Amino acid sequence: MTDPLLRVDGLTTHFHTDEGTVRAVDGVSFDVAAGETVAIVGESGSGKTVAAESITRLVDTPPGEIVDGRVTFGGRDLTTLSDRELEGVRGAEIAHVFQNPQDTLNPVYRVGTQIAEVLRIHGGVSRAEARRRAVTMLDRVGIPDPASRVDDYPHELSGGMKQRVVLAMALVAEPDLLIADEPTTALDVTVQAGILDLLAELQEDLGMGVLFVTHDLGVVAQVADRVVVLYAGKVMERGDVHEIFESPAHPYTRALLQCLPGRGERGGSIGGELPDPNDPPPGCRFAPRCPYAVDDCRAGGQPAAHPVDGDRTHVASCVFHGPGQDRSRLEAPVDWTGGQRARSQSEDADG
Amino acid sequence: MAAEDATSRDTGAHAFEEIDWDRIDARGGRSVDGWAITEAAILVGLLAGFVYDYSAGTPTELIGLDPTAVEWLFSIVLVLGTFHVAVPLAENPRLTARYWRTFRKNRVAVGSLGFLLSILALGVVGPMIWVPPNETIDFATAYRPPVFAGGSWAHALGTDAQGRHLWHLIVYGMRVSMEVGLVSTAIAISIGTVVGATAAHVGGYVDEGLMRYVDLQQTFPVFVLLLFLVYLFGPSLLFIVVLYGFFGWEGIGRLVRSETLQRTEAVYVRAAEAAGAGRWWIVRRHLIPNVSGTVITAATLAIPTFILGEAALAFLGFSDPAVFSWGRTIAAGRSDLASAPWISTIPGVFLFLTVLAFNFVGDALRDAMDPR
Amino acid sequence: MGMKWYVVRRVAWALVATWIAVSLTFGLLVASPTPGADAAAAQAAAQGLDPEQARDRYLSQRGLDRPITEQYVEYMTDVLTLEWGYSVSQEETVIEALSEGWVNSAQYFIPAVLISVLLGWSIGLYSALNQYTLTDYLGSLVAYFGISIPNFWFAIVLILIVGVWFRDASLLGVSLAPLSLRTFYDASYPVFSVANAKQLILPVVVLSTASLAGQMRYSRAQALEYARAPFVKTARAKGASSWRVLTRHVLRVALVPLSTILIVDVLAVLFAGSFIIEAIFQIPGLGRLALEAILVKDTPLVLAVTLIPVFIAIVGNLLQDLAYVVLDPRIDYGDR
Repeated sequence: MTDPLLRVDGLTTHFHTDEGTVRAVDGVSFDVAAGETVAIVGESGSGKTVAAESITRLVDTPPGEIVDGRVTFGGRDLTTLSDRELEGVRGAEIAHVFQNPQDTLNPVYRVGTQIAEVLRIHGGVSRAEARRRAVTMLDRVGIPDPASRVDDYPHELSGGMKQRVVLAMALVAEPDLLIADEPTTALDVTVQAGILDLLAELQEDLGMGVLFVTHDLGVVAQVADRVVVLYAGKVMERGDVHEIFESPAHPYTRALLQCLPGRGERGGSIGGELPDPNDPPPGCRFAPRCPYAVDDCRAGGQPAAHPVDGDRTHVASCVFHGPGQDRSRLEAPVDWTGGQRARSQSEDADG
Repeated sequence: MAAEDATSRDTGAHAFEEIDWDRIDARGGRSVDGWAITEAAILVGLLAGFVYDYSAGTPTELIGLDPTAVEWLFSIVLVLGTFHVAVPLAENPRLTARYWRTFRKNRVAVGSLGFLLSILALGVVGPMIWVPPNETIDFATAYRPPVFAGGSWAHALGTDAQGRHLWHLIVYGMRVSMEVGLVSTAIAISIGTVVGATAAHVGGYVDEGLMRYVDLQQTFPVFVLLLFLVYLFGPSLLFIVVLYGFFGWEGIGRLVRSETLQRTEAVYVRAAEAAGAGRWWIVRRHLIPNVSGTVITAATLAIPTFILGEAALAFLGFSDPAVFSWGRTIAAGRSDLASAPWISTIPGVFLFLTVLAFNFVGDALRDAMDPR
Repeated sequence: MGMKWYVVRRVAWALVATWIAVSLTFGLLVASPTPGADAAAAQAAAQGLDPEQARDRYLSQRGLDRPITEQYVEYMTDVLTLEWGYSVSQEETVIEALSEGWVNSAQYFIPAVLISVLLGWSIGLYSALNQYTLTDYLGSLVAYFGISIPNFWFAIVLILIVGVWFRDASLLGVSLAPLSLRTFYDASYPVFSVANAKQLILPVVVLSTASLAGQMRYSRAQALEYARAPFVKTARAKGASSWRVLTRHVLRVALVPLSTILIVDVLAVLFAGSFIIEAIFQIPGLGRLALEAILVKDTPLVLAVTLIPVFIAIVGNLLQDLAYVVLDPRIDYGDR
């Protein structure tokens, strides 16, 4: 088996604030192979963005700090590289696409210049050549009339077009890995589909690995090969996308799936709140909100990632999948909304 | 929200009873505004005293004092400050506590605030305790060094070329600086807030015209203008103070305008409009109170500019000769710099520390009220 | 084209502003008391003559009794044709006096502007991107010091230390005399000589302090706004070095709001300071000219020296507005 393109091992990133140390990412591990798309899923505050940004150390330090862990890429550990070496990796080997194209493009430079900048940074490309490649890239991402649009300013483009420009900027140097953080969340639904298709196309052309960060399970179903479910800075479950959707092993994953709108029943939100990031609960992070929780869940740190049904590619960090536990207890149906749905259903009945 | 029936104003008939919810909420249910009455009474008293002082023509004495015009203005500003800053703070303890918690973290600012309050207190009360510097003139005790440089406690901070006690000069200078700082800023705030809020809320040509004027005014170097005006019309503290107020409001005006613009679209303003509130009402009751945080910060940072400006004018000899501004004392000590450095240095230290303190407090206020 | 029309409008506005400024000074002159007329009347009364007649004669001798409009037209034409009158105190025309004095002012003024902006912005930007480091704290302290210290007092203190104490003192046995600088300006040195540079050190240092501090604070505040901006993260994600991020991204975007405070603020502080500097260090520039003129009531000269900073400020403002549209491609030329 070949080494994965990217391997993240026990990544831990803390933020030092006036109120204490926020453990945004606490021991996260996963990997991405060339040509595959891995989705990191979680709600806001789960640490998914911080995890993605920690890979290339884009997190602001201070107040952030990568406290522990290893990020192996191209045979090197990115957490130990010098700044200059890391700058060589960013843009050329690992590229990023961020959420809101409105803000991620520099407002005072033309889009062509910004795309060409990647090539100029990573060396040896003349201005004319860089511009030519920028135009080619704009065409590649589906921007009409690229030869004249290359001189446009960001504010002259629509949201969807801006995000295409951002993609062009990320891919013009043909990186091996693309980290996309909620690339379609800020866009209209109609535009989303176009961007996702484009992304899939480009991925195949370039043979890239894609790490896709999102909170939208619908998008995950569309693009991902494998899924990593994050909650409160820790991995809850990891596995093939089909397995995750058809037989979710971790209670949190089940909750997410059940609370999807349009899934037959009226969706609701999961009752309870995220744990305090400064002072997380001992034991499983999800235990306070988990209807299945037992005493073993509340102590002893986050449970290890146990293989589900003996399949090592599908793991869940839940005591019920560990040795000596009765898995069938997870079969009992529960009300994730903590009574909300029941209440509103009875209201409907009255009103 | 204030429930004012617009139609009752037009027709004179009272369809609803006019209920001022704001006031009731703020005062805990009482509908008589004790503070406002007290404030009005004091202001009326001051105004009466002012009129009496000036209509009587010749220098008149009231309770043994003969206040100048600037001092009248200063008292009015102090009263306004108490009722519009201190009282609201006292009446909203939760809000005040929140501001204080952030402010308190900045120990330098807290120290500065203490220092400033002492200077204010000394400046207000000092001239009532210590006699004016000219009454301490005594050529026999000229050029005494301060007590920490070989002098005696009789002249704790030393004396100047004519034997004036430096301490007296400092105290009277405190009052001048406080007067300049607070009165000019009060004028600047008043003009700036009204202009800015009106421009933002009314919009259109009024806005355009006002902003063009602000542009023009900002272009003029104020100090140069002041020199010229003093040259033409003669130096008087009142003149300088009022002019600084009149020429120093652009910054505040711009700030208020942009803050108001941001808030005009806010829901609570739309609600008030829907309820029939007129433009003026909205400007006064909703917009102005909400930009007050920014204004207070801007004001605190404007005060030192005015104080420094007046000190510079005084140094060059352009300030009121009847007044003992710190700048004037520093200038007077220049010729004896090598032999009697304390005359110029000590007032300078006070001036520096006062301005520094205002800057520290202003920055800390900004952090407390407008964290970003 | 929108931009050309915008430029034309701004230039037109600058001309209007100039006209307003000059008219205002005229208005102020007319409104101000004429001590000369009062003196003439008093003198006449003391000699037993008719004071009103003396006053009228005084006024008509100076053409001050003509209709206001006539005086105004003459005034405006004089200003435009650079007929700025005769300076009694300098015994030459005002224009001549100005052209002699401006060099002396410019030689410390221009370096002060350059230092304030270049040094101020560098430190401000660096501090913003390296928050909580020693440089940031030191810079912050220097900034507070700079905006708070009264420049005239600072000058005096420096004169005391550098001019007087250094001359006689020694540190660890080494005499500090060579460090002592001449504190009173000697105009006989050629402008571009080392000796001249040495005697300009103190004036430039004192004058720059306040505006340097101001620019440091502004640039730091603006850079902080942008240091955490998403497009900065994008730039870093592209592999840009810290330097590139700093100059081509943060600075370039921060220039937009910074340019709006640049010229006017720096100039305002420096103009005010120049009077002080020239008075204390005895530099025979425009500021000292103004002060002398005021003392002897040489009105034409006072007027001229007042108008010059106003003109410079108007031009500076215009340049600033033009720079703003060049720097920010987003603005719509329909409004400002």
